[in-house]
Amino acid sequence: MAAETKKQEREVVLSVKDLKVNFRAYGGLVQAVRGISFDLHRGETLAIVGESGSGKSVSIKAIMGILANNAIIESGEILYDGKDLTKVKEDDFHEIRGKRIGLIFQDPLSALNPIMKIGRQITETLRLNQKMSKEDAKKRALELMTAVGIPEPEKRYDQYPFQFSGGMRQRIVIAIALAGDPEILICDEPTTALDVTVQAKILELINQIKKDRNLSVIFITHDLGVVANMADRVNVMYAGKVVETGSAEEIFFEPAHPYTWALLSSMPDLHTKERLMAIPGTPPNMIYPPKGDAFAPRSEFAMRIDYEQEPPMFKITDTHAAATWLLHPKAAQNGIEMPAVLKARIERMKRSGAVNG
Amino acid sequence: MKWIDRNNLPEELKNLPDSSFESLHQEDIKDEKFQTKPVGFFRDAMIRLSKSKVSMISVSCIVLIIILALLVPNITGYSFTEQNLGNKNLPPKIQGLEKLGIADGTRVLENRKKDALSDPDRYPEGSVLEILREFDSKGVAMVDVKVDYYKYVGAEDNRYHWFGTDYLGRDLLTRLFQGTRISLMIAFFSVLTNCFIGVIYGAISGYYGGKVDMILTHVAEVLDGMPYIVVTILFMILFGSGMVSIVLALTITGWIGTSRLIRSQFYRFKGREYVLAARTLGVPDLTLIFRHILPNCVGPLITRVMIAIPGAIFSESFLAYLGLGIKAPNPSIGVLLADGQKVLLQYPYQTLFPAVLISLLMIAFNLFSNGLRDALDPTKRGEE
Amino acid sequence: MADSQYILEVNNLCQHFTSGHGKKKMTVKAVDDVSFGVRPAETFGLVGESGCGKTTTGRTIIRLYNPTSGEVLFNGRDIASKMNGDLRRYLTDNIAMIFQDPIESLNPKMTIEEIVGEGLKVRGMKDRAEIRQKVIEMLRKVGLVEEHATRYPHEFSGGQRQRIGIARAIIINPKLIIADEPVSALDVSVQAQVINLLNDLKEEMGLTILFIAHNLSVVKYFSDRIGVMYYGHLVEVAKGDDLYRNPLHPYTKALLSAIPEPNPLTERSRVRVDYVPERDHDYSKEQPSMVEVEPEHYVYCSPSELKKWSV
Repeated sequence: MAAETKKQEREVVLSVKDLKVNFRAYGGLVQAVRGISFDLHRGETLAIVGESGSGKSVSIKAIMGILANNAIIESGEILYDGKDLTKVKEDDFHEIRGKRIGLIFQDPLSALNPIMKIGRQITETLRLNQKMSKEDAKKRALELMTAVGIPEPEKRYDQYPFQFSGGMRQRIVIAIALAGDPEILICDEPTTALDVTVQAKILELINQIKKDRNLSVIFITHDLGVVANMADRVNVMYAGKVVETGSAEEIFFEPAHPYTWALLSSMPDLHTKERLMAIPGTPPNMIYPPKGDAFAPRSEFAMRIDYEQEPPMFKITDTHAAATWLLHPKAAQNGIEMPAVLKARIERMKRSGAVNG
Repeated sequence: MKWIDRNNLPEELKNLPDSSFESLHQEDIKDEKFQTKPVGFFRDAMIRLSKSKVSMISVSCIVLIIILALLVPNITGYSFTEQNLGNKNLPPKIQGLEKLGIADGTRVLENRKKDALSDPDRYPEGSVLEILREFDSKGVAMVDVKVDYYKYVGAEDNRYHWFGTDYLGRDLLTRLFQGTRISLMIAFFSVLTNCFIGVIYGAISGYYGGKVDMILTHVAEVLDGMPYIVVTILFMILFGSGMVSIVLALTITGWIGTSRLIRSQFYRFKGREYVLAARTLGVPDLTLIFRHILPNCVGPLITRVMIAIPGAIFSESFLAYLGLGIKAPNPSIGVLLADGQKVLLQYPYQTLFPAVLISLLMIAFNLFSNGLRDALDPTKRGEE
Repeated sequence: MADSQYILEVNNLCQHFTSGHGKKKMTVKAVDDVSFGVRPAETFGLVGESGCGKTTTGRTIIRLYNPTSGEVLFNGRDIASKMNGDLRRYLTDNIAMIFQDPIESLNPKMTIEEIVGEGLKVRGMKDRAEIRQKVIEMLRKVGLVEEHATRYPHEFSGGQRQRIGIARAIIINPKLIIADEPVSALDVSVQAQVINLLNDLKEEMGLTILFIAHNLSVVKYFSDRIGVMYYGHLVEVAKGDDLYRNPLHPYTKALLSAIPEPNPLTERSRVRVDYVPERDHDYSKEQPSMVEVEPEHYVYCSPSELKKWSV
């Protein structure tokens, strides 16, 4: 518990407050992000988990100032370095994007210019942002390439993206993101397009870089295995809202929101034999977001109030909170508990963790 | 958002009725029905198209011109072949507008002998409206005089030629829209045949690929190398100068572009998983080509057709200008322009009207095809 | 592995792709000498990383590609032989495929009814009402409703689209389904829907499934036996539990050590094993082959490796 409090005291690098983002579409207004708030502390990895359409990508796009043209930031602020990023003009954003906040995309191939030597792609950032001389920039680029684990950087410096494998390309993208010497690194599903063995290496690399440079990382993914590997804290998003937030241990071992329960029990692990607990139905249409708890129509634990009133964030511990009416003292009358399957699995996880650790 | 302490609830949460927390256990959660109406690809495209002002203006412009081309030659009261040498080169005269001083059928005649003004044979009564300038040239009294040209040539009182007449006294309004009709027909037919040949050729070449593709592509390249003016002249010699030979001339190389487009689209789509899926179901080749792949090429194809139509009109005018146009007395916009430019300085209106019309057509078709391209772009689906 | 207990038997299948002509000619051995068998009503999982040839294997079996050499027996009949109308018919009647990408695998210009009913139409069913009836029955089976039949694919979510793909595959009542990464493009929360659906259908229709995927947890959960592929070769075949308990081939070990588990405790202490073929194998003296180490457990190794690994 002492460690947890320490984490709380750590310096807040980036703070998102009640952010709402809508998209204009001809069917109506799509409410992609419906009021999310979170803090990012220095040196921590915050994972944002959620399925496609949950608003996780939109919220980081808002942070990076790269929202599509038909997006409207309806309200809220993103505080970074004393500035509200939602009010920074596009012309001034390049001071922040790439320099102070680095971004790693899902698809390394489309993030790289196919007809430019990779050496130049790395040095470009250095020369533009840090006004380095050509020689210095090259030296720095080679250092970065070594740091991200590219063998024979001198030889690779003059090659084109197509000459690299998927994992190597992602390393270059990471090198470019690091070139500006950022303090925040945003990773948008950086390993989804990669093979498992490559993924493991890239995750190791990001973890190591984070440690070396004391970076703050926002990690977006839908893979809970990756979350377990990377995250200090986890935000679970559903239908444009953060439904549960807590430390990785709290989310994995003491989940409180039915959606988190469902997420954790829906995927088989290597020991699963029984029928999977699928989440029935489909995510809500965000043009007509449901009243109350958006997950209620798909939840077997729904209560009447879930359809009437939106649940507030109920505090569980200092670091752990969830937006579900199940945490209201009066909900106890139903005796709703975490599903037995999940309970058994958590027990198993704790045991195997104890054996390994 | 503030976190709520469970042991210390705020009043409004504390007092929630117990009944609110009744469990609504749902046994079988089915997929929801859609709240929206089904929107097909083309409906979606049309919705986006109708939101673009430029496209709407240009499409109404095109429709208007087509309607005029269909109606006008039948209601002016003149036929496009009717010659009247007495009434040649009449300026525009429109009922209602004549009082405003425009299109009133007047012309300024320069350097006329002043004496002749009183001669009723040369200047019928009432034809002289105003003497603009009197001057002396080598001892002869001269004038520039504004005349009512209709009276001057002795046309009947109730005769109106909105766009004037040409050098054979034919009504230009009738001829212009008859010409538009013919030009559009040439354009539609040539584009249609181009499309027909191009789609089939490109589809076979793209779908089968390999050797078939190689041979077909080379044949197309050879055809593409032929100079089309020479080919056109050959057709004129063979079939005479008529619509058929012009359409054929525009077709002989015109389909190659379409076939290239379709071929590249086929290459793009034939490896898609839905095509593979249909193949694993045993769907025959022809169905694959026409049912699965071709409908997905329709967007670029329509756009291409829309750009090809003004292109064909323009090519036809170009041929007419070289004297390779449609057979007289049939007009086309190109023929009218070619005739008009011969007397451009004396009778500029004879060039002006066809020129304005062809420009309008070109601009409208081009803007419309731009709008269509955007509307049919599948990546913009559902956007505003 | 000639054995009549198999419904699908792949023997020494090779699929080589060539590109270029003359001196520039290049051959890619996408599938090289692959042999395995699938028993009736069994799920056989094929795992490996992208480019290992697992998808090509599936597509070659259903004859989207013509195999370079080798034989594929389905119920004893060779389906890798020269294609003709009769064989095409036999193939499409018995084997269906489910594809990876829920967006790509449905024709955007066709309604769900047309997409799902296509297999029936191809088989000469003309009566529209009858087709519609059957389509709706299939949609219900995969958890969709009648109203969905008139809709277009883009209106559905990924999981729904994948279920439509499944409906399209099962409407012809196949015996074998080749499922090519059916869940890897889906969100975690809907992957379970699709996996459960496939499991139900398998029970209900007695389907045999060739399950191709890269997610080992899913393959392990879903398959009876698993084949691991690496660069065109099948390197290890075993029952799911045996493979995880006792992986022999170094690549299998590396693969197993890389699966991220949703457990922060084990994740943070994970020890990853690397696989470097040049280091791990020495095939200069002896050639590797498929060896049965214990019942139902095959591994691709040379004799000396066999000694070393089975200790």
